[in-house]
Amino acid sequence: MRRHKQWPLRPLAYSFCSSSAETVTNSTVAFPLKHVTKSNFETTLNDLRSLVKAADFVAIDLEMTGVTSAPWRDSLEFDRYDVRYLKVKDSAEKFAVVQFGVCPFRWDSHTQSFVSHPHNFFVFPRQELTFDPPAHEFLCQTTSIDFLAKYQFDFNTCIHEGISYLSRRQEEDASKRLEMLYGEEGIDSTVETEDLKLVRLSDVLFAERMKKMINEWRSGLLHSGNASSESPRISNGSTQSTETVFYHMRPALSLKGFTSHQLRVIKLVVGKHFGDLVYIHSNDKNSYSQDFVVYTDSEYDKENLMKEAKDERKRVGERKIQYAIGFRQVIDLLSSEKKLIVGHNCFLDIAHVYSKFLGPLPSTAEKFVASINNHFPYIVDTKILLNVNPVLHQRMKKSSTSLSSAFSLLCPQIEFSSRSSVSFPQQHVKIEVEVDNVRSSNWNAGGKHEAGYDAFMTGCIFAQACNHLGFDFKQHSQSDHLAQNEKLDKYINRLYLSWTRGDIINLRTGHSNADNWRVSKFKYGNIVLIWNFPRKLKAREIKECICKAFGSASVTSVYHVDDSAVFVMFKNSELVWDFLTLKQQLESSDGPVSVLHPLSKILEGGNTGAADYEAYKEICSSHISKIVFSDQAETVGVKSRTRPDPQGETERKEENTVVVTPTASDLIDTFLANRVEAKAG
Amino acid sequence: MQRRFLSSLSSSAGNTKTLNQAKWSVKQVKKSNFHLTLDEIRTSIDSSEFIALSLQNTGSYAAAWHRVSAIDTPQTSYLKAKYAAERYQILQFSLCPFSLHDSKLIAHPYNFHLFPRDELKLGMPSYSFSCQASRLTSMAREGFDFNTCIYEGISYLSRAQESASKFLSGNPILADPITVSSSSSPATVADTMFVGRIRSRVKNWRQSCIESRSKTGDDDLVSCLRRLVLGSEQYGSRLCLTIDVCSERQVQLILEMMTEFSDDVVPLLVASKSKGTQSVRAVFMSSKKDKDLFKRELQDIENEENRRVRGFREVVDLISSSQKPVVSQNYLSDFTLIHAKFLGPLPSNVDDFNSSLSSAFPNVVDLSQLMKEISPLSNISNLPTAMSSLNRFFAPVDVEVANQGCPVKSNEVHQSHGQNAVMLSQLFAKLRTIQKSDLSTLQSNEDCQGLASDDENVKVWSKNNRRVSLENLVFIWGLMKKMTASKLKNVLQTSHPVFAQEFDVKYLDKSCAIVVFWESGLSETFISDVNNEEKLDGSLREMVAEGLRASGYETYKRACRLGFWEAELADSLDKSLESSDMDLDLDTEASEIDWSSEFAINFDEL
Repeated sequence: MRRHKQWPLRPLAYSFCSSSAETVTNSTVAFPLKHVTKSNFETTLNDLRSLVKAADFVAIDLEMTGVTSAPWRDSLEFDRYDVRYLKVKDSAEKFAVVQFGVCPFRWDSHTQSFVSHPHNFFVFPRQELTFDPPAHEFLCQTTSIDFLAKYQFDFNTCIHEGISYLSRRQEEDASKRLEMLYGEEGIDSTVETEDLKLVRLSDVLFAERMKKMINEWRSGLLHSGNASSESPRISNGSTQSTETVFYHMRPALSLKGFTSHQLRVIKLVVGKHFGDLVYIHSNDKNSYSQDFVVYTDSEYDKENLMKEAKDERKRVGERKIQYAIGFRQVIDLLSSEKKLIVGHNCFLDIAHVYSKFLGPLPSTAEKFVASINNHFPYIVDTKILLNVNPVLHQRMKKSSTSLSSAFSLLCPQIEFSSRSSVSFPQQHVKIEVEVDNVRSSNWNAGGKHEAGYDAFMTGCIFAQACNHLGFDFKQHSQSDHLAQNEKLDKYINRLYLSWTRGDIINLRTGHSNADNWRVSKFKYGNIVLIWNFPRKLKAREIKECICKAFGSASVTSVYHVDDSAVFVMFKNSELVWDFLTLKQQLESSDGPVSVLHPLSKILEGGNTGAADYEAYKEICSSHISKIVFSDQAETVGVKSRTRPDPQGETERKEENTVVVTPTASDLIDTFLANRVEAKAG
Repeated sequence: MQRRFLSSLSSSAGNTKTLNQAKWSVKQVKKSNFHLTLDEIRTSIDSSEFIALSLQNTGSYAAAWHRVSAIDTPQTSYLKAKYAAERYQILQFSLCPFSLHDSKLIAHPYNFHLFPRDELKLGMPSYSFSCQASRLTSMAREGFDFNTCIYEGISYLSRAQESASKFLSGNPILADPITVSSSSSPATVADTMFVGRIRSRVKNWRQSCIESRSKTGDDDLVSCLRRLVLGSEQYGSRLCLTIDVCSERQVQLILEMMTEFSDDVVPLLVASKSKGTQSVRAVFMSSKKDKDLFKRELQDIENEENRRVRGFREVVDLISSSQKPVVSQNYLSDFTLIHAKFLGPLPSNVDDFNSSLSSAFPNVVDLSQLMKEISPLSNISNLPTAMSSLNRFFAPVDVEVANQGCPVKSNEVHQSHGQNAVMLSQLFAKLRTIQKSDLSTLQSNEDCQGLASDDENVKVWSKNNRRVSLENLVFIWGLMKKMTASKLKNVLQTSHPVFAQEFDVKYLDKSCAIVVFWESGLSETFISDVNNEEKLDGSLREMVAEGLRASGYETYKRACRLGFWEAELADSLDKSLESSDMDLDLDTEASEIDWSSEFAINFDEL
């Protein structure tokens, strides 16, 4: 029952380091991993800056609260690249990042090995800013949470201690809002008090009491100088207390222990009855709010004071924003250093980085590609590398290219970390781990699924892969940028948009349209989407029905989206139009013909919807996510559009005949050739 | 020196204040001790008069205007609660069955940790759920243990999900006798041929079964071969035959045909992965007695399976079947959640919800309602404050925690979870002593939920409640930013003749305000003028040019009904206006609300 232990955070982070220092030779040492939470974030960030600056590449990995907001949001066989992007976008927008692994790797020519610094950041979108908060809400996929639990993810640390963040956009918005609050002249908080009226008897009494008290204080101040009333007052033994202090060089009465309502009443009293007193509400660094009634000796002084107080509030606000940026500083660091970022099957990760730390994801894949390149000029995906490069693909021996299996296949010496297995020293890259200035090359890998460890594995795979590609680190000098190496050139900035379909997106040349995409075997213009048909109908039966109506060769195939919807692939796009028209005719006429018609089986119930592929895209672009596809289609409201509009038709045709550019085709050819090779061998 | 002494005094005063919120030992129930505790809970419920419950959720509303407010009719309140109930998750369900004897309250508090684990791998009980980051943060501040919740939370299935899962769990189930009797469409030639083929196959197989029963002396090899030849298999210790099917129609035909052999053959349905029937399994019975035994065995397996998947819902069923009055803090949000998670999908309108709910929970006491009757100014959302507001009444209540076998460890933080339910029972006891009402008035409390949709009046200011007809409410949005209600009121006053009469303005969120006309007819004039720019002049014309829009209550209702839950009300109303053409409005519900300032958004709280 170790699972539900509550991590005492600080001890944990240090215990890893200390134990690794003491027992380097012991092979049962836990993997040294730097855990970072909000308590040690600032210091770690400072160290990380120099580590990233010196690094040859930085591996990253993310843990999220989920992947798909509905079963049909998963990557499907029929997803065109733009639909696929919409699905990734939906995922990145809805789910939260709870852990962020960052692992800089640096070649150490003395030890002839890579030195890695695995960092495991706990991240949580806490609301740090109190003024006008963006409604922060995220989705959790039950199975993903279960998955995290399986690997003993510590949810308490994440939620209690996770580092918060603001995206660049959020920061801009917050600054603007701050500017609006304190920048303009004239808008002052005095307006609010107008709304408050003393209705309750208790309020009236309290106001009277306060008036008397403040009056006494004021006259005491005026008659016997500033130093007079040093003694704090306590009323009725309650927690309320007032005390004479100095606020910005002026005598002031500090108010403590009052409720916010009482404070508002006091503010009202001060505004109404005392021309030379000013009510000030301020927040100090630790966001403790303090309230004062301040004496000013002239109208000019009063204005000055108000301005000073306002400026102070603004400064506090700015500091708060600065603090709230939190984890984004790490992303800014990676971006400004322009280091090679290494991920494993990382398109979704990159999309998360974009939506969490830069700003809202662009509406299309093209815009995304154009924009991401400005922030991260070099990204390499180890999954692409392993699948597309013939040498590596062969080395993988057709085994799975999932992170853990690729790691154990390519880097067995690291996984088991036993000295005996280092039998091919020239083939295996030596990798050391350094955490808090303690180096170790021996540890027990343990099966922990922490982002920091995954990032480490990804980096190891990359280093090993480079080695297999004939990359000589010994001759490689610091000044060379890994990303500019010609051996890697083919693979840089290419990510799997969809692994299952093998769609590869090129981030480098993504300005123009669809020509960076792998050509598709589907003609999307030939597809009809049907939903809400009688649930018991199976794909085969639907195909039979349609074939009866349009001829046996009319339908190429039928795929399920989920239980409630299918894609029907027709032989040509004219049939799509015919089908949708016929469906409409059958629905509008209630005659006996329509009952006997072969399609009536599909239309039974009268709720069946059908639309072309563009409607599917529209459904996917909605931010709503119903679990069942037919509910989604109904909610998005595409039902009324069961006929393709002829205008859109021509546009779509162009889009669907994708031109394959030399660079892309080159990749695909090597990939396919390699597949054949592998099969033959 | 003196100052320091005094400040330390004041801080210690603060400490005693928190200590005064007495901490009772609450039995914490998790996955590991759930089944063991179940009997104890049953006894607790049986021996108590009332049941108090309180929920800890992952969120309540995503945007300011999603909160139920005074401008809502029962239907829109319900839709808001429904929207929240469908998205958020219950992480803790604290339950306190209690009895009252004069001033003594005997409580049996339990706190259940819940987590919707997908134990059947079927996307149930919930595929995903939303979390409000701020809610989780404040829970963390109160010492909530998320690891316990996720690792050791009890899962559950709703009643609706349980019946759906029965088939999907993969265990063969008895064919429903009702489906057998309903012979639907006339048999086609293909049907007849299919039935004939299956019938002869079943006949042969049955014959061989009968023979093998008589010839017990067969050696294993022979019986094995025979089984291979006939395609006969074994189901447990009994012989069976599996017939694959391609459609539900075929299942129907086979079941009808099987009735011919009903003496010694029992048909079972085997589900395929995609929700349909994969095959029919005919099981051979050696005797009538064997058949009864077999059916009982199946029933037992099913019950055990159900018990397993039902999980925490067992407790909800216990509460429901006890028919005892249930005390909750917030009727609408608590019971929409309970309905959505443990009964079934929420119906689309409030009347159906009420009737569906009252069949499961006939007696529900809405504590906030009860509170309003006694102390109209108190706010029940903060329980300790609500409790202390009753201090002016003399109503002593001694709480005695009567949980058996519950060790009290004073320092254990997690023991403190689930205090709310005890506090609710205490508050209820106080209120009841004050009210001196006998049980009979409480029993009929289902009517005072204030949610029946035929309620024609609603109020607006809490301190001087006035009823407003919905016709006199106008939503205005697209205003210049940074405007307070009083400022807006001043601007409006001079902008149009309708504002010469008395009217009120409140912000609902930062994007949208509501104008209340106290005289009928003015709202229509205003809306039609705003939509007709030529007729306008002066400041209003300017505001309209800058994007001011106005619309009646219908637009708001439609936004709620169609589920346009945008972050800002203005966006939702825009969407609602756009969609008005495809709308058929059938609502004939409440036409008035209670207008009160209390519910309008207070910017200090944001």
